[in-house]
Amino acid sequence: MSELLAPALPALPTRARMRRTAPAVVSAVAMIIMIAVCASLQPDVLTVAGLSLVLSATVPLVIAAQAQMTLMSVGDIDLGIGNFVGLVTVVSATTLVSSPATGALILLALVAAYAVLGALIHLRRVPSLIATLGASFVWLGLGLFALPTPGGTTPEWLASFGTWQPAGFPAPLLPILAVAAVVYLLTSRSTLGVRMRGLGSNPVALERAGLRPLASRVIAYATAGALGVLSGLVLASQTGGGDVSSASSYSLMTVAAVILGGGSFHGGSAVPWGVAVGGVTLGLVSVVLSLLDVPTNMQSAVQGVIVLAVLAGRVVVGKVLR
Amino acid sequence: MNIRALLSRPWIWGFAAAVLVWLIIVIISGQGGGQTVSLALSLAPYLVVVGLGQMLVITAGPGNIDVSVAPIISLAGFVSVAVTTSTGSAVVGVLAGIGVGVVVALISTVSILGLSVPPIIATLAAGLIASSVTLSLANGFTAVPDAGLRQLLNVRPAGVPLLAVAVAGVTALVIALLRRTIYGRSLIAVGQNRRAAERAGIPVARIIATTYLASGALAGLTGSLLAAYIAPSADLGTRYLLDSVAVVVIGGTLISGGRAVPVGVWGAALFFILLDGLVNLVGWSTAAQNLLKGGLVLLVLFLAGGGDRVAGTPSRFRRRPRPAAATTTTTGDNTHG
Amino acid sequence: MHVHNLPAEPFAAPRGADRGSSDRQPVVVARHVTKTYGRTRALTGVDLEVRAGEVLGLVGHNGAGKSTLMRVLAGLEACDEGTVTVGGRETSGEAGPRAAEFRGVRMAYQETSLCPDLTVAENIWVSSRHCLPRLRWRRAAGDAVRRRLGEMFPGHGVTSGDRIEDLSLAQRQMVEIARASLVDRLDLLILDEPTESLGPDAARSLYDYVRRLTAGGVAVLLISHRIREILSVADRVAVLRDGAVIADRPAAGLGEHDVLALMGAQVADRAGSGPAAAAAGEPADRPVMAELRGATGSGLHDVSVRVGAGEVVGLAGLAGQGQQEVLERLWRPARRDTKVHGSRAYVPGDRQRSGVLPLWTVAENLIVTAMRGIARHGLRRPAEERAAVGSWVERLSIRGGPDAAMTELSGGNQQKVIVARAFASAADLVLLDDPFRGVDVHTKTDLYRLIRHEAAQGRSVVWYSSENAEMAHCDRVYVFRAGRVVAELAGEEISEEQIIAVSFAESDGEPGGPPAESGGEPGGPSAESHDTRNRPSAEPDGARNRPDGARNRSDGAQSHE
Repeated sequence: MSELLAPALPALPTRARMRRTAPAVVSAVAMIIMIAVCASLQPDVLTVAGLSLVLSATVPLVIAAQAQMTLMSVGDIDLGIGNFVGLVTVVSATTLVSSPATGALILLALVAAYAVLGALIHLRRVPSLIATLGASFVWLGLGLFALPTPGGTTPEWLASFGTWQPAGFPAPLLPILAVAAVVYLLTSRSTLGVRMRGLGSNPVALERAGLRPLASRVIAYATAGALGVLSGLVLASQTGGGDVSSASSYSLMTVAAVILGGGSFHGGSAVPWGVAVGGVTLGLVSVVLSLLDVPTNMQSAVQGVIVLAVLAGRVVVGKVLR
Repeated sequence: MNIRALLSRPWIWGFAAAVLVWLIIVIISGQGGGQTVSLALSLAPYLVVVGLGQMLVITAGPGNIDVSVAPIISLAGFVSVAVTTSTGSAVVGVLAGIGVGVVVALISTVSILGLSVPPIIATLAAGLIASSVTLSLANGFTAVPDAGLRQLLNVRPAGVPLLAVAVAGVTALVIALLRRTIYGRSLIAVGQNRRAAERAGIPVARIIATTYLASGALAGLTGSLLAAYIAPSADLGTRYLLDSVAVVVIGGTLISGGRAVPVGVWGAALFFILLDGLVNLVGWSTAAQNLLKGGLVLLVLFLAGGGDRVAGTPSRFRRRPRPAAATTTTTGDNTHG
Repeated sequence: MHVHNLPAEPFAAPRGADRGSSDRQPVVVARHVTKTYGRTRALTGVDLEVRAGEVLGLVGHNGAGKSTLMRVLAGLEACDEGTVTVGGRETSGEAGPRAAEFRGVRMAYQETSLCPDLTVAENIWVSSRHCLPRLRWRRAAGDAVRRRLGEMFPGHGVTSGDRIEDLSLAQRQMVEIARASLVDRLDLLILDEPTESLGPDAARSLYDYVRRLTAGGVAVLLISHRIREILSVADRVAVLRDGAVIADRPAAGLGEHDVLALMGAQVADRAGSGPAAAAAGEPADRPVMAELRGATGSGLHDVSVRVGAGEVVGLAGLAGQGQQEVLERLWRPARRDTKVHGSRAYVPGDRQRSGVLPLWTVAENLIVTAMRGIARHGLRRPAEERAAVGSWVERLSIRGGPDAAMTELSGGNQQKVIVARAFASAADLVLLDDPFRGVDVHTKTDLYRLIRHEAAQGRSVVWYSSENAEMAHCDRVYVFRAGRVVAELAGEEISEEQIIAVSFAESDGEPGGPPAESGGEPGGPSAESHDTRNRPSAEPDGARNRPDGARNRSDGAQSHE
């Protein structure tokens, strides 16, 4: 080809790929370090039971982070996911016990509400950041309405899932990997995923090709809603009750998990495996801190510092790889 | 100013809603409304001060939000009370509270500009650090707020709280800042189009840094005053994260940045405070209160709509018809008020 | 599985092989098409026929309505009045990207319509999904695009798993063109400035492919600013002017001048605006305002550029050869190889993205840079600002006055405001980043005069332009290729022909070859400028008295843009 092109050719495709996977790798390194620290303090951590115990707390966060990632792939952010997950725990501890059919319908209605929220955000062209912040009041209100104080009991089947202990591998790995795989197939491999990422990447191109951006956004929100419901069910199975504010920190933590996993605010990219790593990393922080006997007061500070440190590491790695 | 020009002002709706709620309260309670207004005016200023900071941040353009205001308020409350007790001077205490806000904001600012961390994550992390410090301070905290400052905050000559007058002064200062200073104009330019502002020679990084520091300082001030008015507690600021964003949105500030409406923050804050009063009066639960607030934010948001999502269309932003009287100045009206 | 229907093979049996005849089937016919946006009438009644098996070249100034016409022909927008017939069927008024009638009409956009975060194969799915299987679509799309790219651009170096953001500009353009051509039944292919970022070899192989397409009965509508290219490829040329087709001629026998004349190229008055009249002082004695010494890195290779006080320095060459990187370094001089003495102002080329502050009035947009200098202690001084705005609005006769909203202005007037923004400041060095694209001839002439005038006042200007004819207004021109300065031209040496010759020359040899290499060496500038000083002053009239044809040519070219 013309040598005019030669200098403009990208360096090596592998280099571009490395640059993209670098954030998740940085998080993975942080995760391994944390597991190593845990193991050195408490050798039992490396047994199946120990790993189950350590990982179980991270499962709902990881699933909620996948929901956040789905929305971030179309370029939106959800600040209401925490209260939404809380609301789901409330529903599963109340209505789902008293009348399972109505409870299931309510959960479906919540997914539909997410889809409607996405449609309104698209049609009225409002920033998702603010709209989902407003929606979080609504989820909180609904949750308090149904269950003013934490309590209730989860259905038996859900509780038994929470206490399930298979032999041979840590139980929490199963939902983490299964959800990541499903989300991977949906957002990275399927044509629906192309629609969603295309919307986050270049909506004009999508429109020119005759694809409806509205449909893409609604699909993304419905997916996020479904994952939010799943996250709430898992959380309820672990806590054994409903509490609307039990997951209120998720709204911001999930964003951090996606960023740690290599996602971006610009939309267009889906990193389900990275999010699984980022979510586990973030969730492990509190485990490590309690093993290290760090006072609970300081845990959130350390969490904040770790998020900043990992992002700083990313900046450094990004500069090196440029 | 005629009615149409008045209605085209984005800040009018917050006040209109506040008046509506006030009328409902008067009708339901059957008492004179003056006391209600006086009470609202003594509670609203706290929300206004933190809201003004949030407004500056949101005006800086898409993606800019300060989620550290809530932890800053809680932390500043403890710090200012502690410093007041140890130094004996309420002024030093309040200054210490402001200083705490600036320090926390400094962490966010360094992360945003130095590490290119998105603002929401940077302020989240800074807030997490602040809340840890708050929890450590709260353990065995015994100091009590300064009685003198508390009295001052409760002074209501002719039913108008002194604090409301002072905060009205602060609001006027912010308006002047946005209209008359280089910083204010630069902030509005950055919010409209960051790239264009950078190419026009505006020091974008410095403007962004100043804005986050100002928001931190205002949140610190809120925390110091609130702690003196109520009492320091670890969740003193919790409700202010959502509320500060909500009053900015309802107040008519452009969510996509580039247009700040300081006066609107007042209207929306009064509306929120009166709404709380109404809910208490009727005896509704906090559940209904949250539903109402969230529903209203969504309603205002979806009714007002936002900018054009598809790039490349000629009119990227909806423009209101400009009243003829306003076209004689060159200063424009990016700061309604 | 419709993949095999994708016209991947060169057509074996060409229909209607006799070129240039008008009895072939019309593919798309526009009759009295009008389109109005707000107050602007983009199309005022277009009649156009694109016939099977021909290449129709479409030329026109910016603002002549080309892009609107393309959108209408491609079915992206419905016209207000008139009819568009595709393949003999009149289209319903409900045009849109989903209209079935337009499925055989495909368009390759100049700015590309690819999603940067998606892979090549995924982008193919977005636009050609109707012809791909539901399962294994990724592989099918990858196969199809690989085959098509191989036919169109041998040696393209693109694999179907690459993300668009990792490709070079030229490769993106290639993918865009391949994307547009991949459909089960292609009737009309619209190419909008397809060669803008392609190298000469790639352009040649593209046009070879276009020939094969038309031989197979496909119609091609080619839009380009490069009139010579159009004349050599097209069978017919349609000229669009003020929203209507004013001429439709066979390309054979048509010359570049004829086309320029049809487009309404105006002979702009260059008297008093040329470098000759404005050259202030002895160029060699000029103090250095800014300098790049052997700058290397981020797309540049050993670039040395020197800007004297009061000098207008041009950066020329094909788009994306390092000129913008030079501007970037001068704007934010962070490295040691860049020295800038004095304050700077920047005029961006991409108005909407990096120029316009959309919520503000003309006055506010204009003064935003200068207000810093006017202010005292961080406080604005409205009276002084108003005076400055008033004088600039008057000087550039900006329509609508200072209080008009910026977004209500036409593109040309917006550009005037943004140019005025830079010159209203006290900046010693003004950087122009190809700011006059899409600006009408009159505005351009005004702005050229302004630049010369300001330079005569002692300001330095560094001017990157993709429009070679504009470089005639510079004192000195550096021609760039592949991140290197391949030539330095001064005074009379600066001509469109010369720049083109240098920027395209020896494209298969070593970069930085013979033509004007000596000028690129350090020390060269002063020697060159000595010549400059003498020559223009010797023949200021000569420039004016050039034969009409020559003037027509260069001025017309500068405005056809």
